[in-house]
Amino acid sequence: MRIVWLFLSPLIALVAGVLLLGLSRKIMARIHWRYGPPLLQPVIDIIRLFSQRSASHGILFDLGIVVSLAGSLIITLFLPFGNIAPLSGSGGMLVILYMMLIGPLGIALSGGESGNPNASIGISRNLMLAIGYEVPLLMVLLAVMTRYGTISIVEIVRVQQASTWSIASWPLVVSGLAYLLVMPAMLGFRPFEVVQAPQEISSGPMVEYGGSYLALVSIQHALSLYITISLFVNLMLGGSGNIVIFLFKMLVVFVLFLFVNAVFPRFRIEQAVRYLWRWPTLIGLIGLVLVALVGR
Amino acid sequence: MDDTLRQRLDSTFDSLRIVEKGTNNTSIAVGRNAVMSVLSFLKQSGYDHLHAISCVDWIDKGALELVWVLSRYMRPGEQYDPKHAENLLLRTMIPRDPARMVSSIPLFEVAEPYEREIHELFGVDFEGHPRLIPLFLERSYDTPPFRKDFDTRQYVEDFFESIPSIVEDGGEGE
Amino acid sequence: MDRNQLIKWLEAPAKMGHKYSLHAVYFCTGCGIIEVPPSITARWDAERFGVLPTASPRQANLFLITGYVSVKTLKAIIRTYEQMPEPKYTVGFGSCPINGGMYWDSYNTIKHLDKYIPIDGWIAGCMPRPEAIFVAVTHLWTLIDKDMADGYKRYRKYYSQYRANQEKVLLGLEWPPLFPIEAG
Repeated sequence: MRIVWLFLSPLIALVAGVLLLGLSRKIMARIHWRYGPPLLQPVIDIIRLFSQRSASHGILFDLGIVVSLAGSLIITLFLPFGNIAPLSGSGGMLVILYMMLIGPLGIALSGGESGNPNASIGISRNLMLAIGYEVPLLMVLLAVMTRYGTISIVEIVRVQQASTWSIASWPLVVSGLAYLLVMPAMLGFRPFEVVQAPQEISSGPMVEYGGSYLALVSIQHALSLYITISLFVNLMLGGSGNIVIFLFKMLVVFVLFLFVNAVFPRFRIEQAVRYLWRWPTLIGLIGLVLVALVGR
Repeated sequence: MDDTLRQRLDSTFDSLRIVEKGTNNTSIAVGRNAVMSVLSFLKQSGYDHLHAISCVDWIDKGALELVWVLSRYMRPGEQYDPKHAENLLLRTMIPRDPARMVSSIPLFEVAEPYEREIHELFGVDFEGHPRLIPLFLERSYDTPPFRKDFDTRQYVEDFFESIPSIVEDGGEGE
Repeated sequence: MDRNQLIKWLEAPAKMGHKYSLHAVYFCTGCGIIEVPPSITARWDAERFGVLPTASPRQANLFLITGYVSVKTLKAIIRTYEQMPEPKYTVGFGSCPINGGMYWDSYNTIKHLDKYIPIDGWIAGCMPRPEAIFVAVTHLWTLIDKDMADGYKRYRKYYSQYRANQEKVLLGLEWPPLFPIEAG
């Protein structure tokens, strides 16, 4: 049974991620008072991209995407999804923390090989933003680990099911606030859309991707959306023992940040990092101290 | 135009004609040899911003007219005077062939692209310009294309219409 | 989605993908680009047809040439067109790319764009309204369905002729030929 879930859970993550992408385009269109594309437009785009000819720019250009995609696929095995968690017994939060950097890193390796100056700017922004949000994220994760005294996400979800959600329990609510402030940066949504920024650096690291390369990057993007949101739901919103309820929670969180995305303009990169290292880091630190003082 | 400036100009230079038609339409016509000295005089009198250099082809008179458009900024502590807000046109006639002029880059560095453009489109050679290479055009033309004796219609018929259509043997082409 | 559509999707998914996901290069020539912002934003919303502007030619498969083409622009157009991955479709927008339009007797305007790159369809008018873009898109769907939007194949087949015309008007190109040119 576990073998089946090993193959099924990345697939479910993929479907959920692509649907989230389609939903984001539709909801954004409705906020703009447009009719919007069909819900399955990302699927159509991916089919189109796979059937187009594509030009490679070198070995690292090919391998970087594979590394990035593989990193994202592996995280989906470690993340509990409803009651399904094929590998979460071995690893837990620390593995996820390590692997989450592989996604941007793979894209950086691959985009750097293309030699386009726009790609270089996009990559430097991407890594800068990653450093920006990893610091407050580390504070939040440390607070959660200290509070529950474990690094296993399954255990954390079980404790939350027994009592209350982390975001509703006393000392962790501060960390939850910090997490909420970092989320748009982790999702790459506005006001932190500095990496792609189509209007200023022509979609950044992706500028030289075409055909199947771009399709793989879109899939990686969908997966990273899924991973970020489902980590939040697991740690803060109590996860779930039921797939449907879990998906519903993910949907609510996603739509919330989509609204933020729709109404905000874009930060410059130094503004983004300044914000990330000031408010979420400060709140996260306070949360960590509170958890350490109040104890478990 | 300021009256004191007019008097100073009249007293300093002799072969100079100032024409004032309504507001914001003052032009100074000078001989081509006096252009640089008048330009530097105007620059020292406060007209230190060069908007553009333009060229007019008077084919009936057999001459090209170069026009420098100058304006001035307000100085600190200066009272606003509408006369100062006006642009000043400095005009000179040069023969069409050979069209030669001294470059005004030593006075106004911003003249560099304008002179390149005029060289490209009107065929005026600016002596002392560091690089008179094409600015806009990709093709080379026998007559500079903005001169009045450049027959665009003939050129289009001779050149662009001579480029063959793509011949397709699949039977689908026209 | 009705039954015919579903059958088409199962028979030829690639073709349907190309039809319903036309990503246009955000490339502006001349004055026609002024009609593009209204057609991609709330007033006409091109995204419901799957038409979306992309920032890079590598990601695009539709090339909308929106207005008169000067000789210098032609160079950029050829470069952009050759960078796009196949299959790719070009649409000339407005009367200027068709025959020079009101700029016909100009020393520096390209008169017939289809002598330099292959064009799959034209939108006549000066200016065409944004609705005309959607009419063109639906026509392009029909053409793709019937395999008649074959500009990229024609470019490959008659590349020597296209390249000769390009070199003639631009006085030589700085980049090597995209496809091998057979001698004679």
